[in-house]
Amino acid sequence: MKKAVIYVNQFFGQIGGEEQAGIVPQIHEAQIGPAMQFAKELDAEVTHTIICGDNYMSSNTEEAVGTILSMLEGKDFDIFLAGPAFQAGRYTVACGTICKAVKEKFGVPAVTSMNSETPGVDMFKKDIYILKGGNIASKMRKDIKAMAKVANKLLKGEPVGCADEEGYFARGIRRQAWRPDGKPASERMVEMLLKKLNGEAFKTELPIPKRDMVPIALAVRDLKRAKIALVNTGGIVPAGNPDRIQSASATRWGRYDISDIQALKGGEYKTIHAGFDPAAADADPNVITPVDALKALEREGVYGSLHPYFYTTVGTGTTEAEAQRMAKEMVPYFQEDHVDGVIMVST
Amino acid sequence: MRLEIGNFYVKDIVFGRELSLKDGTLTINKEEALKFVCEDDRITEAELYIAKPGDRIRLCPVKEAVEPRIRPDGRSIFPGYTGKLKEAGEGITYALKNCSVLVVGRHRGGFQDGVIDMSGEGQKYTYFGKLNNIVLVADTNEEFEKNEQQKKNDALRRAGHRLAEFIGACAKKLIPDDTEVFDLGAMTKRGEKIEKLPSVVYVMQLQSQMEEIGYNDLVYGWDMNHVVPTAMHPNEILDGAIVSGSFMPASSKWSTYDFQNCPNLKALYREHGKTINFLGVIMSNLNAALEQKERSALFVAQIAKSFGADGAVVAEEGYGNPDADFAGCIAALEDAGVKTVGVTNECTGRDGQSQPLVTLDEKCDAIVSCGNVSQLIELPPMETVLGELQALARDGLSGGWADDEILGPSVRTDGSVIMENNSMFCGDQVCGWSPKTMEEF
Repeated sequence: MKKAVIYVNQFFGQIGGEEQAGIVPQIHEAQIGPAMQFAKELDAEVTHTIICGDNYMSSNTEEAVGTILSMLEGKDFDIFLAGPAFQAGRYTVACGTICKAVKEKFGVPAVTSMNSETPGVDMFKKDIYILKGGNIASKMRKDIKAMAKVANKLLKGEPVGCADEEGYFARGIRRQAWRPDGKPASERMVEMLLKKLNGEAFKTELPIPKRDMVPIALAVRDLKRAKIALVNTGGIVPAGNPDRIQSASATRWGRYDISDIQALKGGEYKTIHAGFDPAAADADPNVITPVDALKALEREGVYGSLHPYFYTTVGTGTTEAEAQRMAKEMVPYFQEDHVDGVIMVST
Repeated sequence: MRLEIGNFYVKDIVFGRELSLKDGTLTINKEEALKFVCEDDRITEAELYIAKPGDRIRLCPVKEAVEPRIRPDGRSIFPGYTGKLKEAGEGITYALKNCSVLVVGRHRGGFQDGVIDMSGEGQKYTYFGKLNNIVLVADTNEEFEKNEQQKKNDALRRAGHRLAEFIGACAKKLIPDDTEVFDLGAMTKRGEKIEKLPSVVYVMQLQSQMEEIGYNDLVYGWDMNHVVPTAMHPNEILDGAIVSGSFMPASSKWSTYDFQNCPNLKALYREHGKTINFLGVIMSNLNAALEQKERSALFVAQIAKSFGADGAVVAEEGYGNPDADFAGCIAALEDAGVKTVGVTNECTGRDGQSQPLVTLDEKCDAIVSCGNVSQLIELPPMETVLGELQALARDGLSGGWADDEILGPSVRTDGSVIMENNSMFCGDQVCGWSPKTMEEF
């Protein structure tokens, strides 16, 4: 029989509420909380339940993930399930984080469930199967059934149906399919046209993502006195990548002191961006983060002064939601130093 | 304008002594037909085959598909192309149904050519897998393009159109099994009952990206690159005014057969007088430069507005660069207050994760989607190959490759293939046949 491991938080792991949210990961050779129902629904034996506090996972992510991965080392399991997390914000991120990490480390499929209004959805829907879950814990039975349905297909190596059919959040993958009813495009076209003409609801077969337009900022009023900051999504970091920014689908960013540096030197700085040939940027990081030119222009008095740090993340594969969050985290530093303008360098 | 298409249903095709159609059996005198084909002295080698649904046959490189037809009054079935310029869409045309003439290169293929399987897993990928086909496999002396990836295929394609008319002649003096009537009067004289229904135009974006003559779709023999959008009567399209071109990856193309039978057009015709007032066709194009795209969108929107259209359907014959024409045209119509539905295919990549169209616009809120050009397809070997299968790998067909580090060559030594949907001959059927859609995973 195939084997499954379940991840739950401190509450569903029956340890306690918010006061226990700081507990470190623990693993039990038992079926605790939701794991008991999973045992009934899955075509697999639930061998272990892992429990971790939501706060511990969110504030000590690296340690928490590292501990759990080492707990699973050497264990024989075929699938990893987390949650369901319902509408609990931190829990949804925890479930997504650990599912993604376990899937990548051990190469087993991972499945979780969360409500659509939670941060975990956009962060992880491209990486793992996230079933569209209920908003409250009373939906537990239903959510577990939906998770188990997909999990059982994965366990048997059967193809998992499309997002609409199985009820998971679309992972950004679009494939062609033959309609079971064979209805030709011409008939679908007429039906959609009539509905649109008559003001009735219709369903497009190609949803166009809404464009979130940011208005262009006003010009810097007095460049001669302006303080300018430098931000890039080209992954330029000090050689050791101290903030461990990911090479793609970044969730982390860093700021690096350049107050005493006249230019970025190859070897001392490099790119960790996985989306382009790094040769040119590694040889001369200023081609992406033009510290050399900005220092020169500062000396010439073209603009007021350069903010003493440059800011880095990686743009490739990074979700808009993550990019927005990181920007919001950077902004207070600019405000504090009265930055008037930001040069945003992409690649 | 009133068009009567007299249909003759072909149940079987055989070679025999005399060209004839009797009890659903089409008999072709092969020698006579080939002699007719070879009247074009560019044809250096030609052979005829029959390929029916269920046959263990793979065709490659397929260049064109034409429905055999004849006009009893002696007019050409492709006015301005195979014969003298005369009005199409009026009067009587005879058509051999469930049947097409397919043109296949004996050796060489190109970017625009495709694959058809008559049975097995591959059969469902094209419309022609379920038709009774007369297959002309031929070669030409067009040395100038022998090693070109983009081929005009002029001699071969013309041979196909001429052969379709030659074979269609068997029905000239017969009585059709049934008759379809396409009768659509002047836009301004349809009576109150029809005029109070929402009025709709069908916008066809024909492939016309090549600047050089010889590759693009033709309207009455005229290159679609050299037109600004204009109004046409739907009957003209159903009656041979449009001849397919030789550019664009095969699955996105509309063959001449597709124009002769255009399902989107027929579907709007069926609704006419019931749910809509089908005004007619705005014939547009897909040119490469931005200004040309904008000019065409401007013309389409202007014509739709001038006609007082409430709704429109836009269908594009292509993907990639033409997506800009498609999204731009829909946006221009929506801006003009015309409620618009688009019909297209997508290019989401082999992993399905790429942006579906090159240009996206939130105004394109009602799209019928007919497939992913880059979907990988693996097919087992086929008993018989008509043409030369190696063309898929060697000649730069849009869905084939000579070799790949991970996937290996498109054409394997045992005759099995791995290819992108791109090379399925007219496979995405945006003209309206498509039973395919796109799903999110």
